[in-house]
Amino acid sequence: MAVVEAAGRIATPARRPWWRSRTGLALAIVAGMAIAFFGWRNQVVWPGSLTWNALAHHLDKFQIWLSDHRNVPHPSVFFRAFNELATFLDNIVGWLTSLFFKLTWAGTTALGVLVVLRFGGRRAALGTLGAFASFALMGLWESSMRTFALTIASVSLSLAIGLPLGVLAGRSDRFQRAITPVLDAMQIVPAFAYLMPIVLLFSVGPGAAVVTTLIYAVPPAIRITSLGIRGVPTNTVEAASALGATRRQTLAKVQLPLARRMLLLAVNQTILFALSMVVIAGLIGGQGLGDVVTSGLYSNPALAMLAGAAIVIMAIALDRATEAMANRTDPAHRHLTEGKQKRLRLFTLACAAAVGLAAGLGHALDAGSVWARWTGQPWLLRQVQSALDYVQNPSTFIFHITNPIGNFIVEYGLGPLRSFFVEMPWPAMTFGLALLAFLLSGLRPAIVTLVMLTVIGLTNEWTPAMDTLSQVLVATVLTMLVGIPLGVWAAESRWTRRVLRPILDVLQTLPQLVYIIPFIYLMPVSIVPGVIAGVLYASPVVIRLVEAGVREVSPHSVEAAGAFGATRLQTLVKVKIPLAREAIMLGVNQGMIMVLAVVVIGGLVGSGALGYDVAQGLQQSLFGQGVLASVAILALGIALDRVTQGRRRKRVGDLV
Amino acid sequence: MKARVGGLLVAALVVAAALAGGSAAAKASCGTVTLNEQAWAGSTANTYVVKNVLEQSLKCKVNITKVAEVPVYQAMADGKTDAILEDWGHVPQWAQYVTKQKTVVRAGANGVKGVIGWYVPTYLMKQHPELKTWTGLKKDATLFKSPESGSQGMFLGGDPSYQQKDQTLIKALGLNLKFVSVGAEPAQVARWEQLYKQKKPVLFYWYDPQYLNATYQLSQIQLPKRFKGCLDDEKQGGNPKKYACAYPSYTLLKFMSKKFATSGSPAVGVVKRFSWSNADQNTVAKMIAGDHMDPDKAAQKWIAANKAKVNKWLGK
Repeated sequence: MAVVEAAGRIATPARRPWWRSRTGLALAIVAGMAIAFFGWRNQVVWPGSLTWNALAHHLDKFQIWLSDHRNVPHPSVFFRAFNELATFLDNIVGWLTSLFFKLTWAGTTALGVLVVLRFGGRRAALGTLGAFASFALMGLWESSMRTFALTIASVSLSLAIGLPLGVLAGRSDRFQRAITPVLDAMQIVPAFAYLMPIVLLFSVGPGAAVVTTLIYAVPPAIRITSLGIRGVPTNTVEAASALGATRRQTLAKVQLPLARRMLLLAVNQTILFALSMVVIAGLIGGQGLGDVVTSGLYSNPALAMLAGAAIVIMAIALDRATEAMANRTDPAHRHLTEGKQKRLRLFTLACAAAVGLAAGLGHALDAGSVWARWTGQPWLLRQVQSALDYVQNPSTFIFHITNPIGNFIVEYGLGPLRSFFVEMPWPAMTFGLALLAFLLSGLRPAIVTLVMLTVIGLTNEWTPAMDTLSQVLVATVLTMLVGIPLGVWAAESRWTRRVLRPILDVLQTLPQLVYIIPFIYLMPVSIVPGVIAGVLYASPVVIRLVEAGVREVSPHSVEAAGAFGATRLQTLVKVKIPLAREAIMLGVNQGMIMVLAVVVIGGLVGSGALGYDVAQGLQQSLFGQGVLASVAILALGIALDRVTQGRRRKRVGDLV
Repeated sequence: MKARVGGLLVAALVVAAALAGGSAAAKASCGTVTLNEQAWAGSTANTYVVKNVLEQSLKCKVNITKVAEVPVYQAMADGKTDAILEDWGHVPQWAQYVTKQKTVVRAGANGVKGVIGWYVPTYLMKQHPELKTWTGLKKDATLFKSPESGSQGMFLGGDPSYQQKDQTLIKALGLNLKFVSVGAEPAQVARWEQLYKQKKPVLFYWYDPQYLNATYQLSQIQLPKRFKGCLDDEKQGGNPKKYACAYPSYTLLKFMSKKFATSGSPAVGVVKRFSWSNADQNTVAKMIAGDHMDPDKAAQKWIAANKAKVNKWLGK
């Protein structure tokens, strides 16, 4: 077909009628699926003989085997190694936590603010001060410091692992190809599925929490770093090597500095991803704000809101502080004279002294124990509670608007779509999707799609998987509709960027349950809250990647377009967006992955299906069920990716 | 000279031994106890009452962890958590950790009786007295119609982490109900609370003791009586008829880590003897979750008012 198209461009024969074009054929396939649906609705279910039922049982047995071999007086060296690692991580977090507690909040605040002031500047330091003050004001100082320690450890380890691997992936196609599916799996497979094995290997506590966070926070660091390195114009790299730079020199002096904005985005995303794991980390002894959120949801929702706010504030403060420090210490903009260096050294000394003084004062005035009770927490709780009471009251006018809308969406939108997927004969679904993949993406993706759908059937998760698929599709489409235009707009307008940034930070780090549960009071139906959670969690990543990609487009190309008299819109549509294609495609891919990553949250707010199975797997010790449902989510992800990938990825080869 | 040095050494050793002995004695007196608190309010009530008893009477230092229900067994096996005070029947974990590995030991019942069942608001029960039993529900199933359940009645399922067999029960009893999975408990509460406030019909999975039962009047629907060999874990599969019986009433159990149980700490006795009634637990849980009182203060208030019970736990 590609040949025909290529020939078409040269010879321009009569255009094929639309029904023979790709769109026409795709529509025909969908029509065929619809006919199958109406003709054999609910009659052809995945045959029981084609499932591997013992698999869940084998997985359960494996878990028991792990547990039996670990909980003996002298476990083998394998378990001891994991144990040592866990103890090491426990100690790092524990050491940081006890440092913060020993310094009291006066000393810790002084330390944080002055470090940021010394390396990042006044504005960022003020932000840090505000953040620390708000933790104390909310009465969440202790929990916040535990989470802070956990976050510092997780983020630094994630970056220490992610940035080098990202650089490697950016410079080697083979490595990139090998690592991409692993990263997909790390992001899609819900943490709920592997919490038990993690607990068996690393026990509970901060160490296990760090490991869980790493699994989720390392992939974005790798992906975005790699994208940044790949985004450096080829001719610049060639120029460097032509001037005799070694590969290492090229990396250090050309690629890394030019990929700066992407690297900062990688750091930002790592911080946000790490903080979005706080609640899950709490389930295995991570302590801190995650615990407050979980128990708050069950018995004091206002407190859960406050703890959620503390997580968000920590994320934003940490992000802005690291960014300010990175900008300040950027060697490209830094010219230190002898005198300046001397002054800076004196300043550092003064800062250290100030921290000591603050800690001393804190101890003298009992800031650790006495002042901790003087917080604004009761007042804040009352305010939040009164807002919640309003939301939860079914006699307000808001409810009279939101309730019918919710019912309408379920009755005429998501409900029918769900039954279309669930009740469709499985052969129609399997081959329909495979044909679509063939049409849109090619033979190999079609085969992969077929295999993935078979895997779903084999794991005996066909019906819930189709249910989830219908919801994920809606959420992904909405995410793209929201994310791509907003991303482009943010790239074009500084003002939009400014407004959007904190909102995106909130959406990425505020634990979903904290805002979705009040939402359920307004729209008490299933499915909708889960879809909303997916869209709200996934769009920020899409927006950020698209924005960074469009802004990254080399100014020369833009100037050239301007010189040819292109309008701003033309430049955008004809130059910037096509040149930012790689980043936009990563955005699309990440958006879909993020939607899948919150399928479990959906299960906790009424989407049922695979998410529910995974949640049940952890909490009712149905390990096998949890793993299989997660495998089904992953298979769905891969299949979706292959169907929609299109004929891209050819370009990867000529990038480096 | 030598003798004097020797004498000094002996004296030093004696002092050191006395110091060490002193600190060892202090350790044996209680030391640090780590209790695990679970997400529901009843568990918070148990944990904080025991915490305050241990702190006040035995001068223990009490830490509270909040590990989830299943991983906490591994935490106990590792000695990172000393005790849990309320477990709702994690049978596979008992087989694994208590019976086989012997890394976790039983610490008796906590006195609270757990009830699981199908509930409707009491106002509805008054309008439709036939709802008292499942046969009445069979006739009235369409009363619970909603946009989500189409022509059938809607049944709001429970938290994924709770024991349940409702889908199988609905099938086995031939009820015209659609099981709707509404997710975790806070989400489920949101769903039925909204209908309750509008005085509309709603049918859902619920349990007692639960602090919300003090705020909302709820009535249980009688399901078929339990018979010999009736099953409760629907994940086992098989003939649905075998599940056609009410949920059992649960004796809620306490567990300790082996390490803690054999440590000789006086706290072990308190954990073993701790036992109170549903009403006691609901009182404290209501103070914490309903009135948003500080858990420590709520516990202290209850302890001050129930000296006799507390003394019994202390073995006085």
